[in-house]
Amino acid sequence: MFGISLRSLLSHKLRLALTTIAVILGVSFVAGTFILTDTINATFTSIFATANAGVAVTVHGRPIAGDSGGIGGGQNHPIPTSLLSTVRKVDGVKDAVGNIFREGATLIGHDGKPIGGNGPPTFGANWITDTNISPYHLRRGTPPQGPTDVVIDAGTATKNGLVVGDSLPIVFLGGVEEHFTITGIAGYGSSDNLAGATIALFTESTANRVLEAQNKYDSILVSAQSGVTDVVLRERLAAALPSYAVAETGQQAAAAAEQSTESTISTFIGTPLLVFAFISLFVGSFLIINTFNILVAQRTRELALLRALGATRAQVMTSVLVEAAVTGLVASILGFFVGILIARALLSVFGSASTGGVTLVPRTFIVAVLVGTIVTVIAATLPARRATRIAPVAALAEALPETQPLPRRRIAVGLIIFVLGCAALVTGLFTSAGSKLQLIGAGFLGVFLGVALLAPLLVVPVATVLGWPVAHSRGAAGILAGQNARRNPRRTALTAAALMIGLALVTCVAVLTDSVRVSTNDAIEGAFRADFIVFTQGPDFNTQAAQALQHDPSLRDVTEVRGTSVLIRGSSQGIAAIDPANLGSVLALSMVSGTASAIATTNTAIVDSTEATASNVHLGQLVTFNFPQGGSVPVRIGGIYTANALVSGYVVSLATMEPNVPTARDAIVLANAANGVSPSQAEKALHQDVKAFPLLMAMSRSEYRAFVGSSLDSFLNLIYTLLAFAIIIAVLGIANTLILSVLERTREIGLLRALGMTRSQTRSMVRWESVIISLLGAVLGLSVGLGLGVAVSGSLHDLGITEIAVPGTNLILYAIIAGVFGVVAAIFPTIRASRVDILRAITTE
Amino acid sequence: MVRALDGITIAFDKSQFSAIMGPSGSGKSTLLHCLAGLDRLTSGTVHIGDVELGSLNDRQLTMLRRVRVGFIFQSFNLVPTLSALDNIVLPLTIAGKKPDAAALAEVVRITGLGDRLKHRPNQLSGGQQQRVAAARALASQPEIIFADEPTGNLDSRASTDLLDFLRHAVTELGQTIIMVTHDPLAAAHADRVVFLADGRVVSEMHGPTADSVLDVMRHLGD
Repeated sequence: MFGISLRSLLSHKLRLALTTIAVILGVSFVAGTFILTDTINATFTSIFATANAGVAVTVHGRPIAGDSGGIGGGQNHPIPTSLLSTVRKVDGVKDAVGNIFREGATLIGHDGKPIGGNGPPTFGANWITDTNISPYHLRRGTPPQGPTDVVIDAGTATKNGLVVGDSLPIVFLGGVEEHFTITGIAGYGSSDNLAGATIALFTESTANRVLEAQNKYDSILVSAQSGVTDVVLRERLAAALPSYAVAETGQQAAAAAEQSTESTISTFIGTPLLVFAFISLFVGSFLIINTFNILVAQRTRELALLRALGATRAQVMTSVLVEAAVTGLVASILGFFVGILIARALLSVFGSASTGGVTLVPRTFIVAVLVGTIVTVIAATLPARRATRIAPVAALAEALPETQPLPRRRIAVGLIIFVLGCAALVTGLFTSAGSKLQLIGAGFLGVFLGVALLAPLLVVPVATVLGWPVAHSRGAAGILAGQNARRNPRRTALTAAALMIGLALVTCVAVLTDSVRVSTNDAIEGAFRADFIVFTQGPDFNTQAAQALQHDPSLRDVTEVRGTSVLIRGSSQGIAAIDPANLGSVLALSMVSGTASAIATTNTAIVDSTEATASNVHLGQLVTFNFPQGGSVPVRIGGIYTANALVSGYVVSLATMEPNVPTARDAIVLANAANGVSPSQAEKALHQDVKAFPLLMAMSRSEYRAFVGSSLDSFLNLIYTLLAFAIIIAVLGIANTLILSVLERTREIGLLRALGMTRSQTRSMVRWESVIISLLGAVLGLSVGLGLGVAVSGSLHDLGITEIAVPGTNLILYAIIAGVFGVVAAIFPTIRASRVDILRAITTE
Repeated sequence: MVRALDGITIAFDKSQFSAIMGPSGSGKSTLLHCLAGLDRLTSGTVHIGDVELGSLNDRQLTMLRRVRVGFIFQSFNLVPTLSALDNIVLPLTIAGKKPDAAALAEVVRITGLGDRLKHRPNQLSGGQQQRVAAARALASQPEIIFADEPTGNLDSRASTDLLDFLRHAVTELGQTIIMVTHDPLAAAHADRVVFLADGRVVSEMHGPTADSVLDVMRHLGD
């Protein structure tokens, strides 16, 4: 039987071509994701390992409780410079150096624009003179010595054409440009760069000033005397350190950094990509089912003959499954190699400082091949079961059996799966349990499967409606196109369902983003009264901008909204501080109870109603704020307000925050046009002021609204890109169904040609069938997507999505694009159909 | 290269029912396909009326088949998704023409398909399907109908019905029909029988009977 499968496979090469491509695409996405994340992880691992090579022990502050990690994320207690002498005195320490390393030194390129834009972090640090310990290895030039000297990393230098001797403007913490001279170029560990981040190195005193380090270190790097192991030294140091500091061996530090990077990468890159990879495979499985169904139908007589000659049902089933397994295996192996190309392409897009190679581990190959083969075999199981039901007598039958009506059992199963899917989705959306995402995922899957199972019921009515204009405008070709689309409802339904999935997800996200857009528009409109807002897309900025604006006579009510994090009941919370005098003229807070002006009293806060409910805080209550670098302050709740687009959580006055926060950081600055100054004049003046701050943006309220909306567009574009694979596979599926149908109907097409149908009419017939199938997919996809989008948006009411919007033009556009996809999918099938040899078609048999 | 047809010169009269006979491999189907413009000659010419088929491109040939030619095939060749009536008017629909109601009613009447018009092909018997095919060939009122073994898949009763119907179309409606067959009974319904062997015309007969046709066939060593 194995031989029969293989021979069948070879004779159906063309028929399986598109199935193979679909599996290749799905598998390459999976493999590409693994290769990409492995490569990035490997890059970081080697960077951390080489950078820490000379470090025996690292001393750093204990993490502030409740603060989570991540690249540059976790906030640690700062280390006072005085600790350095304590460390140096510990027995076995050869040398110890203070290390300042933090975000906030943005280099300005030759084009006057910030290097790296809003992408990778921009680190500033002090040059470490002990070359045994230092992770920085000077490649050219000299170390920084004067207050305007800077050494930059080799990766950034090469990429931006910066050389020793260049003058380099640098912006610190969102402030004004300061001018430095590049004295040297250095590598980080053995690599050019910290994976795409920029690093600027200064003398310790300059680093301390520009990074506002307050004479504190972020860590102390220690080297050991010969004969003292890292572990022993770590223990000795641990004993000598105050309680706020901890000691880790260089290896531990590298491992910890590695682990936190790995989890960040898998959370932000790996998992989302894998989700979309599996969507592609899921869509691909529809195509596989269709192909094998059609192959089984075409081979009815052959399979019946095998049965008549004594083959058991199991043997027939095996023969189909072996064919599927071999197809899946070959396609998966090819998919793995395409995955390597995809990973390379993505790495170059991410601009990561990859060393050129990709990291291939056996796991990737095994997963890719297993996933592809298993998906193919599982998808082929249904057609294989159908093959076993072919009666031996079918070998003698005249014509192919007509398709039977949809069995009731299938309708019932479809309905049950659909309802269960809806239930899981709704439960998932509105629960706060840990299994939320799994439930939502299962819900989407159930809805898609249910609709796919029920879709054959919709084919005839929907195709009749869609086919009507076609039949009336395209004559015989149009009539036949509609008839052909309806003639095998299961096949048409499955083909359309594959397209449905991609379109439904696109529609769902479009509804969600539009709802967010409309809701934020309203929210922004309702959130603040100020004419202008100054903000950045990077970390919070220093107060230089606010000071500059306060001196501008065209502006009044210049108001900083400062941010910091505090510990409240053991968990880290962002809080905002604002000058109470301007509160009413720049912000529009709607109060649930109490008054906003209550914060004018020192150590009084207002809190938003969601947070108040979540942490059970009520008016008049005392809540303790633990400032990481300040004191523990009991704060009275003076009001509860409704969270809005600009402000949420706890809000206090500047006077309450300032004594407890050593470095002031503004999240936004708000301002109004001064009396007697027209808004346009004031805006011109504002833009002039903000020009000095390359990282900051200044906008009027309406510009800001549009800006927030446009950032949603880029999210939507990202989703389009990620779903492109699934949609390409669905379009391949339409082409696949059409090609197989054309092959199946060769005789009929020959007859039509003999009866006077021109080649162009033949092409038109196939093309319109394709368009009808695509539009059916669009109808299903848009309906299901609308339902999903409304459900998802509705569940996010508490996050500020107060209005549900349906992006009508987008949906019409999707339907039109689906129609165009139909035309594209039909290109090859129409050529095939118009080339049917009339004589052979009508005389063979 | 095999010579399927070898130096044939032959004319078929208007409003005549002609049959082409011959043993398997005699070239009779090839002759029919060439006459109908489904196949092209390597040398020589075919005329339908005043049109020389070799001078036509694919599109012109298609238009010729659409307007001037009707077909009846051995294996019925109906479009399974269309009703009997839709199959009958299919050539007209393809041409974007409205069927002439009176002519259509006449065709339907003489085929006796009146109560089966809404049925799909798979709901009809073989004889009924072939009558639908015959009605389809007649409905567009072509100059000439080519029938390729039209009774090949029919039992004797259905065969007789169909042949009577074709005979009727020639006598009453003045239709021109050229039929390829290997059945002497079928050939006996024709006005004239042309016998082919090895790609050449070897004999012909006017006013044939089943017996006289069978005689000639025996001589051809069938």
